[in-house]
Amino acid sequence: MTWTCEQTEARLSDYLDGLLDAAEWSAFNQHVNTCATCTPLVASVAHTLGGLYALEQIEPPPQLEPAILRATVGVVRTKRDFWAWLRSLQSPRFVYSAVSVAATIVLLLTATGFNWRKPKLADLAPATVYHRANGYVHVAYARSTKFVSDLRVVYEIQSRMNEADQNPAMREETIPQSSPKKEPGRTDNTNPSTPKQQNRANDASKRLEVLACEFPILSGSLVDRRVP
Amino acid sequence: MRRHTRRIFNICYRFTGNRTEAEDLTQDVFLRVYRTLASYRSAYGGFATWMTSVTRNLLIDHYRRTKRDRVTDSLDDAMPVVENKESVARRPDEQALLGELSGQVQSALTRLSPELREAVILRDLQQLEYIEIQRVLEVPEGTVKSRINRGRIELARILQQMGVRPA
Repeated sequence: MTWTCEQTEARLSDYLDGLLDAAEWSAFNQHVNTCATCTPLVASVAHTLGGLYALEQIEPPPQLEPAILRATVGVVRTKRDFWAWLRSLQSPRFVYSAVSVAATIVLLLTATGFNWRKPKLADLAPATVYHRANGYVHVAYARSTKFVSDLRVVYEIQSRMNEADQNPAMREETIPQSSPKKEPGRTDNTNPSTPKQQNRANDASKRLEVLACEFPILSGSLVDRRVP
Repeated sequence: MRRHTRRIFNICYRFTGNRTEAEDLTQDVFLRVYRTLASYRSAYGGFATWMTSVTRNLLIDHYRRTKRDRVTDSLDDAMPVVENKESVARRPDEQALLGELSGQVQSALTRLSPELREAVILRDLQQLEYIEIQRVLEVPEGTVKSRINRGRIELARILQQMGVRPA
């Protein structure tokens, strides 16, 4: 069987796909092995076919399928949508909000006396929550009232002490001091203008001595009465 | 659904060489299939073959619609043929994904005439039988074989021009 270059080009795909019969196969090979034009042609097409077969399937983008469903049958929730929605919950904004809400709920439940170690459904009953909250409010009010009144007392004491510090005369009246050693007939030079109880007592004893001189009969009883 | 989406997307991507266009065309295919589902007959050769036929028609429409833009682009691009492999380079991630030879083959595919391109894609990439390709392209079997053969030879010639030679 004679084989030409035109036949080689026309039957090249049949040769590569294995569709030639034995005689054609033999004639094809014989011609290609001796033809300087057909040898590189067959080699390059075989190489190209290898490259085509090596092309891998491209994965479509994940949003394509939901987009097709939206365009055809309307909005359809797929598993992929669900996971995408779940992933969107990982945003810091949502996490902060969720943590704040959870902390508020915990605080409120703790404030209403909810027992976290032994949780009971009855603890969440509105009446129970109201009674506990009412009790807590009253206790808190009483404590705050007591605290305010204590503060007032402390403030008053402090203000008095400040006044005493600023006014020394008042301090002498208010603050007890150890009295200096008194001697009859001598004046202490501390504050001569103010009368002293001791001075008055000294005057009385002097008068008693004068009376005793004038009336000797009374002297014994008066002296005894003066000195216990 | 996922299997059909993947298959149609791959046909569109290999034909256009552009991921975004392939995505839009895949969506258009499903939309047309959804609207013309009543016209489907099982005698046509199976649902997949019918979908492929719809895809092919849309791809040809798209090719004709964008032909003017491509002519303008080719006039603007005065680079020699051998250097065209650089100009048709896609996004870096796509290029890396395809690999060097795969990228070159894809690049050469987009430079084939649409008649030869669709025949090669259906036969060598989608592994369709001749009878299925005949139904999709609505041409006789001899024409299908001829187009596939010419498509392969033309593709090899383009690759040689791009500097790709068998080892």
